[in-house]
Amino acid sequence: MVQSILKERESSIIEAGSEHAVGCAVKNKDLVCNQGSAAGAVSQKACVFCGARVVLNPITDAFHIIHGPIGCSSYTWDIRGSLSSGSELYRHSFSTDMQETDIIFGGEKKLAQAIDEAVATYSPKLIFVYATCIVGVIGDDVEAVCRQAEQRHVARNGGMGLRVIPVMAPGFSGHKAIGYKLAGDAIMRFIGTKPYPRNKAHGINILGDFNLAGETWIVRSYLENLRIEVLGSLTGDSSSESLLCAREARLNVVQCAGSSINLAEKMQDILGIPYIRVSFYGIEDTVDSIMRIAQTLAAQTPGADMRGLVSRAEQFCLRESKRLNDALEPYRTRLVGNRAAIYVGGGFKAISLIRQFRELDMDTVMVGTQTGRPEDYEVIRALVSPGCIVLDDANPAELEKFMVEKGADILVGGVKERPLAYKLGVAFCDHNHERKYPLAGFVGVENFAQEINRSVNSPVWRYANKRQS
Amino acid sequence: MNNTTGTTEIIGATEAAEAAEAAGTTGAKALISLDVNPCKMCMPMGVVTAAYGIEGNMVVLHGSQGCATYIRRHMATHYNEPIDIASSALTEQGTVYGGAKNLERALDNFIRLYNPFAITVATTCLAETIGEDVNGILDSWREAHPQTTVQMIPVISPGYGGTQFEGHFAFLAALLKNVEMNSAPTGRVNIVCGPMSPADVRWLKQLVCQLGIDAIIVPDCSQALDGQHTEVYSRVHEGGTRIADVLQMAGSKHTIEIAKYLPEKLSPGALLKREYNVPYTRLNLPVGLRDIDALVNALKPFATLANVEHAELKLERGRYLDAMIDSHKYNALGRAVVFGEPDFVYSVARMCAEQGIMPVLVATASKCPALYADLEAELAPLAESMLVEKWRVIDEADFATIEELSVSLGANVLIGSSDARRIAKALDIPLVRAAFPIHDHMGGQRVRTIGYEGSQALIDRITNALIDQCEGSFREKLKAKYLVQPDTAFAVETTSRCLSNPDASLPVRTARQYLSDSVKRLCKHPTHEHPCFSKRCATKSTRIHLPVAPKCNITCNYCLRKYDCPNESRPGVSSVVLSPPQALKRYLDFKQQTGKVAIVGIAGPGDALANFDNTKETLRLIREVDKDVGFCLSTNGLLLARYAHTLAELEVSHVTVTMNAIDPAIGARICPWVSLDNLVYTGEAAAAVLLANQIEGIKALVSLGIIVKVNTVYIKGVNDAHVESVAQMAHRLGASVQNLMRMVSVKGSVFENYPQVDKPTLLEARVACSKHLSQMRHCRQCRADAAGLLGKDLLVRSLAERRTVVFQ
Repeated sequence: MVQSILKERESSIIEAGSEHAVGCAVKNKDLVCNQGSAAGAVSQKACVFCGARVVLNPITDAFHIIHGPIGCSSYTWDIRGSLSSGSELYRHSFSTDMQETDIIFGGEKKLAQAIDEAVATYSPKLIFVYATCIVGVIGDDVEAVCRQAEQRHVARNGGMGLRVIPVMAPGFSGHKAIGYKLAGDAIMRFIGTKPYPRNKAHGINILGDFNLAGETWIVRSYLENLRIEVLGSLTGDSSSESLLCAREARLNVVQCAGSSINLAEKMQDILGIPYIRVSFYGIEDTVDSIMRIAQTLAAQTPGADMRGLVSRAEQFCLRESKRLNDALEPYRTRLVGNRAAIYVGGGFKAISLIRQFRELDMDTVMVGTQTGRPEDYEVIRALVSPGCIVLDDANPAELEKFMVEKGADILVGGVKERPLAYKLGVAFCDHNHERKYPLAGFVGVENFAQEINRSVNSPVWRYANKRQS
Repeated sequence: MNNTTGTTEIIGATEAAEAAEAAGTTGAKALISLDVNPCKMCMPMGVVTAAYGIEGNMVVLHGSQGCATYIRRHMATHYNEPIDIASSALTEQGTVYGGAKNLERALDNFIRLYNPFAITVATTCLAETIGEDVNGILDSWREAHPQTTVQMIPVISPGYGGTQFEGHFAFLAALLKNVEMNSAPTGRVNIVCGPMSPADVRWLKQLVCQLGIDAIIVPDCSQALDGQHTEVYSRVHEGGTRIADVLQMAGSKHTIEIAKYLPEKLSPGALLKREYNVPYTRLNLPVGLRDIDALVNALKPFATLANVEHAELKLERGRYLDAMIDSHKYNALGRAVVFGEPDFVYSVARMCAEQGIMPVLVATASKCPALYADLEAELAPLAESMLVEKWRVIDEADFATIEELSVSLGANVLIGSSDARRIAKALDIPLVRAAFPIHDHMGGQRVRTIGYEGSQALIDRITNALIDQCEGSFREKLKAKYLVQPDTAFAVETTSRCLSNPDASLPVRTARQYLSDSVKRLCKHPTHEHPCFSKRCATKSTRIHLPVAPKCNITCNYCLRKYDCPNESRPGVSSVVLSPPQALKRYLDFKQQTGKVAIVGIAGPGDALANFDNTKETLRLIREVDKDVGFCLSTNGLLLARYAHTLAELEVSHVTVTMNAIDPAIGARICPWVSLDNLVYTGEAAAAVLLANQIEGIKALVSLGIIVKVNTVYIKGVNDAHVESVAQMAHRLGASVQNLMRMVSVKGSVFENYPQVDKPTLLEARVACSKHLSQMRHCRQCRADAAGLLGKDLLVRSLAERRTVVFQ
């Protein structure tokens, strides 16, 4: 007889309204999260390298060289739906494709040569070198190779030189969130630690948005319509130049906290740029985020225009939410009573999704994340109805168990979870980094409702086998 | 045995390498140390896919968590099946002190959650590099779990040890080594498969069934990777070769190994021969007539069913042959790029060759030095008979190299995995998705390549891709090439009528059936909306020049193209050059700023047609979002005859041609250098080439109903006495208006010291010209990135652009 919940996983699963971990008699108020994955549990999480790679990937004119054997390069080639308004360089996958001899004799020479070839062929201004699992083990001095490469090419780019930044991201050195942190460090290393004079009235940066399906552009357009200048987006549709502009901002707004909170904290500590956490998923959170950005900016620099900013934001949000409320009505009548299961990357996204489902008159019966933080789970537990399962770093066995037990009608998740949902006769909404339609902002609210409706109300389920709940 | 039977001898690697080197095929990769866009995956990927073909067998990867997750994602999008792979989730500590604990815990947990019949423990880069003794760990785990019935299959598969192709066979070799073989004779036949789609394995099973052969097919992923929707969901995949059958392979009477480039040391057939004396035959993937025949012939001696059953096979074969003949002429136009695993590319290239499709590039990412020598006998004669001069066979390839060679070898169809979709898009060459991974289409698990019907399905897709290329464009292409343009006078008459009465339906239109909708729209786009063509609206109509065309194909002595000088205002100047998407953004920003935009113009800073891809894409993008704005461009006219029809299709309504002379002797003093189709002309020849193309081009535009303005730069002492002749000619060609403009002396240009014409002289010249052609008198000699009303340009550079790198 197979189990569905491993002993060591029990403290990461809680039923809302209860103070006990699932299947555990001992009181366990706090959900255990932010840990390495349990061996053999088939975690949905990836590794340190993955975390670093996904955050830095949308820097469009940067050269991302993966120093290691070919697999990591092959599986991360152009996997994000991040869009670019400029260079398409980031959509290539570069690797040193280390072979057995490189493992034996060391890969430094090959890496140096690869950088030289990249410089000669593509004239990059910024190179990230990702050191994967074995590089650390065999002792390649990647730092030194990068430093020497910078020195060697100091005359490039019209005397501006180029930056070669190592990202020491062996997969085993922690979990995905450690990779996020490494990416933040690499960005800090590139933009420097010197605080910049802030003379823009409203200049802000958007952090933790990766311009999937143009979402950075959507958010940017909202803010620019309110005459809030967006100086940098980290890292959606960013470039080596736009990253440098980010130093001048007055405020950072952090969309995907999981991936970018570390960077935001660093930018606050070192560059003196304060940050607020926002979410542009769902009407409630989008409105709340826009208003908080406006209010924060208004409070920061009291001036004649500031009152105008807040009232402009209010009008804009009022108009959009009213319009959307009407637009969602037909979906509500078709979706009411359906039960949602959520398994996504970050905590803030999960929180927004719970609210979004509520906007559609749907209840959430299971919610989990890969990299949620304790404070995220507190909010989640406060938001959901009693009986909802809350879990961190879930695996297929748990997802299966709870979707069936709780009678979920739709799962929101990533590519790996989709086939499981379908096999269980559960509808599915892709909320991952490959999607081709925006889910952020007001426009995303409607797309989301459409997407849910397309799957939940598809006629195919009439023919599929009903699962027992 | 020889090649024609589809069975090949194993060629010595060194010998083949030498042959390949002599033929200049090695070192094909564009860059040496840098792999640009990998055309391969790693060994563990191959282990996992092969392991799915064994019933109840699941995989634990001994390494970082990421390896398992990445492979799961990669497979899930291709097969659309839940792919559950466990990881020992090695940590820093495990890496330093050994990962035994992690692996043991992984096995415990995995068994608790899945309880599989067998577990394949595959190593990764990391486990091999830190020197994990997996056998030792498994031994101590077994000691601790004496009751366990789980069959363990340890596989050595570092990511750097080879590609997924080698990984597939590393698993099979490990499988045979680790299960307890039973050599009692059974009379069965072993069929060892290389990487195949579930649908292909199903065909193989059906084939042995037809022939009445009791076969052990290994691995058999036909069900596990193409599952059903059932009432009960099983965490452990169903179907596949039973381990009970695998044991019996030692007692079979023969092994057929479908794997040409399988290294001997990993060969299950060789192992069974060596240890249990089971004879074996190595065959190619049964793709294409000869190799399918070879498989059928190799199996026939073991058939138990009577000939009546073979009749169905004969019919299948007959239909395939018939279809080959039916499509051979389309296929003769095929210039294929075949890429992927060595066995796949070898057999698909052979199949193409059978059909008369010339594989101009056969590329594998594996180390496979024998490939060239093996295919030479196929490809050289075909190239000879199809008059194909250049073709290549390469190993250790990446996609950057494949892309480069696809262009230089003139490919028109790509065959392989969906990883070439970016190349397909960039080069506008169709991609036939026929191998793992297929991430962007459905049905990867059902792709068929082997067997008569499978090859038939594949070849139909290739042929249809070739047919579509021809069908989709032959009308336009032939029209552009052969349709003689109507005579000028007739065209002028049409145009002027069209202009004077924009809404009238013209009787002559019947003779112009080919005129595109754009021209109909043109009539609704009267000239008076264009600020340059009508003085009345010069102060009302807003226009924007989008600087998307940096290059120029002629040199004019008065011109100096220069960028980044926001204070200078004259033609040829722009602060930035925009890509088409950036241009679209600028347009949208501008429109938002100004409300209505009447005209979008492409005016350089080089020549709009010398950068035609950019120009075309820009206009296309804008038309997608704005159905009403008018399009205008300016050109030197060198490429006008070539693109006139496309301009009409793009709904360009106004074109300005700079025509400074109609006498090559005078022209040569102004424009002494012309580059056309990689040929450079100088002096009078240059001027003559330019003039001839301007004349043809203007005629073509006028016949399409596009309004033409001729710009003539008045250069004192060069063409000042000649401008009236230009006006006369322009009128005869059907131009609507002439803009006689003073030359701006530009520092650094050849004419920098030439005197500027004074205003009265210029006016006088305009009066003389106006006898032939109406004159534009309000030109402001705008920049290539001007925007707004004439002479009142706004700054439209958006925030995003400000950060754009301007020039390299």
